[in-house]
Formats: sequence, C-alpha cells, structure tokens
Amino acid sequence: MIYLDYAATTPLDAAVFEAMLPYLAPGGLHGNPASTHGPGFKARAAVERARQQVAALIGAEPGEIIWTSGATESNNLAIKGTLEFRGFPKNGKPVHIVTSKTEHKCVLDTCRHLETLGARVSYLKPDGQGRVTPEAVLAAITPDTALVSLMWVNNEIGAVNDIERLAPSLRERGVMLHVDAAQAAGKLAIDLQAVPVDLLSLSAHKLYGPKGVGALYVRRRPRARLAPQMHGGGHEQGMRSGTLSTHQVVGMGAACQRAAERLDADAAHCSGLRDALWARLRGIPGVLRNGPTGDSAGGERAAPHLLNLSFPGVEGEALRAALPGLAVSSGSACSSATAEPSYVLRALGRDDETANASLRFSFGRPTTMTEIGQAAATVIAQVAWLRALSPLPGSR
Amino acid sequence: MNEIDDDNPYGYAPAIWRLFRGAPNAGVFADGTAGVISAEAGTPAARSVLRLALRIDGDRVAEGRFQAYGCPTTIAVGAWIAGWCAGRTIDELRRLKAADLREALEIPEDRAHCALLGEDALKALLTRFQEQRA
Repeated sequence: MIYLDYAATTPLDAAVFEAMLPYLAPGGLHGNPASTHGPGFKARAAVERARQQVAALIGAEPGEIIWTSGATESNNLAIKGTLEFRGFPKNGKPVHIVTSKTEHKCVLDTCRHLETLGARVSYLKPDGQGRVTPEAVLAAITPDTALVSLMWVNNEIGAVNDIERLAPSLRERGVMLHVDAAQAAGKLAIDLQAVPVDLLSLSAHKLYGPKGVGALYVRRRPRARLAPQMHGGGHEQGMRSGTLSTHQVVGMGAACQRAAERLDADAAHCSGLRDALWARLRGIPGVLRNGPTGDSAGGERAAPHLLNLSFPGVEGEALRAALPGLAVSSGSACSSATAEPSYVLRALGRDDETANASLRFSFGRPTTMTEIGQAAATVIAQVAWLRALSPLPGSR
Repeated sequence: MNEIDDDNPYGYAPAIWRLFRGAPNAGVFADGTAGVISAEAGTPAARSVLRLALRIDGDRVAEGRFQAYGCPTTIAVGAWIAGWCAGRTIDELRRLKAADLREALEIPEDRAHCALLGEDALKALLTRFQEQRA
C-alpha cells in the first residue's frame, strides 16, 4: 500500500510518540494539569511547555494558545464564539460573516448554522486557481461584517490565500479575521507577529501529532474576545473548559516543535515529490490540474504537499476502485459521506463528472521518490485501462 | 466492516470485484467479423454506458464482448453478460432479467440500476437482432 493521503492525516512522528509516552503509560505522569499538587504541577508544566512549542511555530505568545480537540472545534469556537461575544443572536442586531465556498465543511456548516439564527453570510467564489483574493474579501465587507473566516491553505487543492496582505487591510477596517490554518501550519512559514490575524485554528494530526487535539490562537493585543462554547471549570482562560488531555497536548507541542525545525526541509521534500508526480502524470492525455500550479516561492502560490488532478473520460468510482493499492483521496461522490462530488472542484468550475474523476495526492515526510514512481505508473496504467474499456467517443 | 481486504478495500461483492479487476471479454470484434450485432444502453443519471457485442452463429451466440463507462458494478455486469451469453440460444438471452444479474453478482439494492442497464443493453441488442432477421 502506498499512502499518499497526508493531507487527510499523518502518522505519529516517532519523537512525538516518545514525548507522549510518559503521560500515557501506566504508572506515568497522570496528574490533572488543573490540580494544585505535585503531580498536577508536573502535568501543568508539560502543558505549558507544549503551549510554548505551538506558539513558537506560528510566531505567537504562549498565552494566545487555547487547547481544543482539533481544528473542527477550533473553527466552531472561533466563529460562534466571536458572534456570541458581540451579543448575537440575542441583541437582534444584524451581523454579517464573509467566508468562501471552498472552506472546510466545519466552517461552512458553522456558518450555515449561524444563518439559521439570523446571521448573514457571504460565501465568496474562488478564482480559477482556487484563491480568494484580498480584493474580493474587502469588496464583500459591509458595516455589519463582524468576522472574515478564510482558510490559509485549501485542503483539497493546495491553493494559498494571501493572508499576509488581507490581514492588515481588515485590521484597518476593524474587522476580525479568523484563519483555518490546519493545512498551512508546518507547511508554510507563519508569523503572527507580522501578520495581524485575530484567530487561527490548528490541528495536531496534520503535522505528525496525535489525533484528537488542536488549538485556537486568540490574539491578545488587540484582544480578540470570544464567548466560550464549552462551559465548565473555566479552563483555558475561560474560553474552553474541560480537563486537558496532557499526553495529547504534549504530543501536539512536540509535533509543532519538530515542524518548526523541519519547515524548510519538509517543504522542499514535499514540493519535490509533488513536482515529480506531476511531471509523470501530466503526460496522460486530457489530465487537468486543479488549483495553483506554482510553488510557495512566489507567483501562483501552492502548498508544497498537495496535487489534485482530474482524469476526464474515466468514471470516478471506477478510477478509485482501480487503485486499491494507493491510499489517495478521491473526488468520487461515492467516497464522500454526502454522495456529492467535491464542492471545492465544482466551485472551481469543474462539472460533476470531472470532479468525480479526480484524485488528491498528498505527500509527507515518509514519502519516497520510489513510491511516487510506483504510484505514477499505476495511475497511468489504470487510467489507460479504464479509457480503453469505455465505449464513449474520445475516451482513448 | 471489521476486516478490510487490502485487495478489495471498498468491499465490493467478490464476483463484482473479480469481473471488474479482470474485465474478461472486454473489447470489440475486429471490423468485418461476420454475424456481429451490437447495441448499447445508458443511464443519464448515473452517467454510465454499457455496450454489448455478440457474434451470433445461427440461433446461438458464439462469443460476447463488452465496453463500459461506469462504476465497477456496471463493468462487472458487462463482463458477466458477455461471458454468460457465449454458447446460449437467443431464447435463453431473452429470459435474462435484471433480477438474475443481481442474484448472480450479488448486486446490492443501491446498485440495482447497474443490473437494469445490463438488461436494457441486452434487450436493445435483441431488438436489433430481430430487426436484422426481419
């Protein structure tokens, strides 16, 4: 099995696993980080060290990191919490959110939920490369706009939004900016001292940390204010109650430290693999590349770890089934919970059939050039086989 | 599903998987082959097309071929019909229904349209055969 689905999740880094073990193993450091005794203080120290490690990856202060269960919770907390803090929906004042059609479902569904409560939401259409430009965002701002929520890197096609240019413009206008950085952290350099993002979501398992833990960056200066969505003992500065999962938090910290150390090497490794796979697969007649075609050095910025391709003339489910030895993400409707083709590819203007016949390849630290060669050969052979099988004109 | 088969991770029925992966009888007859009749059927909603071609010798099918654009179940249906037809009489072909295909290939309810596509393609072919005989 060749695993090329690192944008879905990554395996735990060995060093991260080692760092977590003392807090997980029977007889280990099991204290509650909120307890005021020796074992609690030890757990607390580990949690705070991890907070520093996460903060360092994104140029933040440790006190600006709030632990959550993952990026879905972080996104929910950021968006719902911002509106609720402003009195929505109780005060009856109009409120507007700007986001894009190509956000992760957890952002879109949160926005749809808020629409049912009376919020107005603008879902911006991306350009042909999958980006939402700062100009498009600024044009959508109204006096009622409370929040802009935009992903840094798109999880399906690797499009990179120009958050560096957008954030200062929103700051000038006094509009809060939330960024889902689940696919950006550890892939692109992020420095929140230089980029005035107010809220930023992170996930550990996208960067070789454990599943089930994430973080929300909440800016302190100027203070981004949130109403909690999880009520309880007032943990995490009152923004997210619940006993912290020390081993998960420690794992996320270790993963972020390693991601920071390896940022340039990981990006170079992944973009080299991406470019090598594309160099092989672009020879397939009619193949389409979805999203940006450049790299993170400039021009059409693309995340280093993603390559999304459509193979017109083959049926999506058959394409997926013809590649049982390849763990990749399929655009095929039958592979999604909603039985709809990718809404991201449709937002880019692909028709349903082309969106169905799409594959997302994503690369990680363990991926080798040998695997890329084997994957390319398999895809080339299977696309050719399915096209040869087809009675439709022009399939061959 | 507790056990995931690495070779068939999507859990297709064994007959469907075997026929999809092997696609026996796929292709077309060489131009000019005597006694060949072909026809196709499609389902616009599912965007699948199945084309059957049978080489008929007298009242019996000598050989079958298929082409398909569609999901693995559609491809398996084409492969199965093309193989099953060989050696059978036209009357036997007329009696093949979608329910038989579903039973033979263990086609689930949500893929019943793939079996209907097979029945439709065969029906279209037999209509053409009748027209040519008339």
